[in-house]
Amino acid sequence: MASPEVHHLFYHPIADHSFSADRETLAVARDTSVELYGRSGSGFKIKDELKGHDKTVTSVDIAPNSGRIVTCSQDRNALVWEPSPTGYKPTLVLLRINRAATFVRWSPSETKFAVGSGARVIAVCYFEEENDWWVSKHIKKPIRSTITTVAWHPNSVLLAAGSTDAHARVFSSFIKGVDARPDPGVWGERLPFNTVCGEYLNNSAGWVHAVSFSPSGDALAFAAHDSSITVVYPSGPDQPPKAVVSVSTPLLPFMSLIWNGEAEIIAAGYDCEAFKFQGSEGGWQLTGSVGSPGKAHQNTISTIRIYEGSAEAVQKFSSSGVDGRVVIWDA
Amino acid sequence: MSIIQQLSNATLNDNWRTINIDLLDPESSSNFDRSTLHPALAPVSEGEIKSLGGQVRQLLRGGDAEGALRGALEGAPYGGDDAVKELHLQTVTEVLQSIKASEMTPMLQRIHQSEGGNEALDVLMKYLYKGMASSTRSSRASALSPQATGFSQFGGRPAAANESSGAAMSVFLSWHEKVVEVAGMGCIGRTMTDWRKV
Repeated sequence: MASPEVHHLFYHPIADHSFSADRETLAVARDTSVELYGRSGSGFKIKDELKGHDKTVTSVDIAPNSGRIVTCSQDRNALVWEPSPTGYKPTLVLLRINRAATFVRWSPSETKFAVGSGARVIAVCYFEEENDWWVSKHIKKPIRSTITTVAWHPNSVLLAAGSTDAHARVFSSFIKGVDARPDPGVWGERLPFNTVCGEYLNNSAGWVHAVSFSPSGDALAFAAHDSSITVVYPSGPDQPPKAVVSVSTPLLPFMSLIWNGEAEIIAAGYDCEAFKFQGSEGGWQLTGSVGSPGKAHQNTISTIRIYEGSAEAVQKFSSSGVDGRVVIWDA
Repeated sequence: MSIIQQLSNATLNDNWRTINIDLLDPESSSNFDRSTLHPALAPVSEGEIKSLGGQVRQLLRGGDAEGALRGALEGAPYGGDDAVKELHLQTVTEVLQSIKASEMTPMLQRIHQSEGGNEALDVLMKYLYKGMASSTRSSRASALSPQATGFSQFGGRPAAANESSGAAMSVFLSWHEKVVEVAGMGCIGRTMTDWRKV
């Protein structure tokens, strides 16, 4: 196995990172700005800086097809950066929240994005053509604490969110006129906005740091501060799930996780390493760490993302963390 | 007194910055019942926990220390009141004190590999922290005696009561080390995050 590709960008925590679809541009959230790096030879060189937030940028996401970048910050705002020949043009999105924005992700359709916040709401934002601006609609109930993370279902309607109230939840973010009506599935049949399709808590109930739908969208995994990952297999609307499998590990907590097919999960966090889990409805197990034991990261890994391949089959994934490094791993 | 004077006096006297505005906001997170966040725990009475303690001690007398430890850990009274929890802490402490240092690791490994073993060691870790907290508390209470000066001061050599809590502390510490070896750091994290307190 090739050793991981380590890029030490600077001595400052990276809150979040995102690669463009062609993997030529890397966006990292550093302090109050987002830095854009371009591939040059075997390394990355800074090529642009997106300045617009006046407090710490908490999250960044590049839409793979449109190339738009969305960022959110503790200044309670989200900005959409539109690529243009003269550079990126920011548009302010009014989130109507009174606490920090914590996490942002584009929906797979790229017509919406969801912003988690400390105001106990998720702002689902979409572009309104007639008014020529981004509108946000709030998912409120029954969130009891800060939203730490969100993740989209492949259908761009269902949205998973993790919170410091120790729950992972699945909501509908259906917006009339923006979304196609989703097919009925294991999460529900009729899905008006803010439908709660599932609410899950594991035994020891740590803060939820990461959530992710399996590639088919029919299972949900979440990682919590009790060093566990939990996988939920729903059975249908208004019915208890077929299986809820929780794996408590001897490791430190995981901050981020991705699926690699339906039977493998890769998670990373406070142990500065990535770990693999394998299993199915019948049970999941920690199977080992990814790559050589050499320390590619010197501190907590905050985000892992698919770099090459897809959630069905990950070839490579990237990680970023508190040590200011971005590392590319063979899955 | 003019209105302006009154207002400015009020501003000077009250530190408006320290007002907890969350209490005034009905939507605020401090205004909901925290017990609704997780399922309710079954209540445990003093009688139940005493009879469990009896069973555990009987196993211990019969030489089945592992059975006693498992029984004590599986019967952790999450839903009991403070007195019940204190009683069970005594039971667990007794079991822990009666197990020889050389037996700790193999026993922990056997428990860890068995069904529900992970959970059992998490509970054990909770008791270790609770035990360490209460033995420091009791030694503080006896070591701190009010002096004529009005200040609390540490006394000289701790009294006999402290000897036993010191011994308990060293038992907890050596168990702590062994549990971390077997169940990892995750176990400590879960002791802190878990809402089911022992």
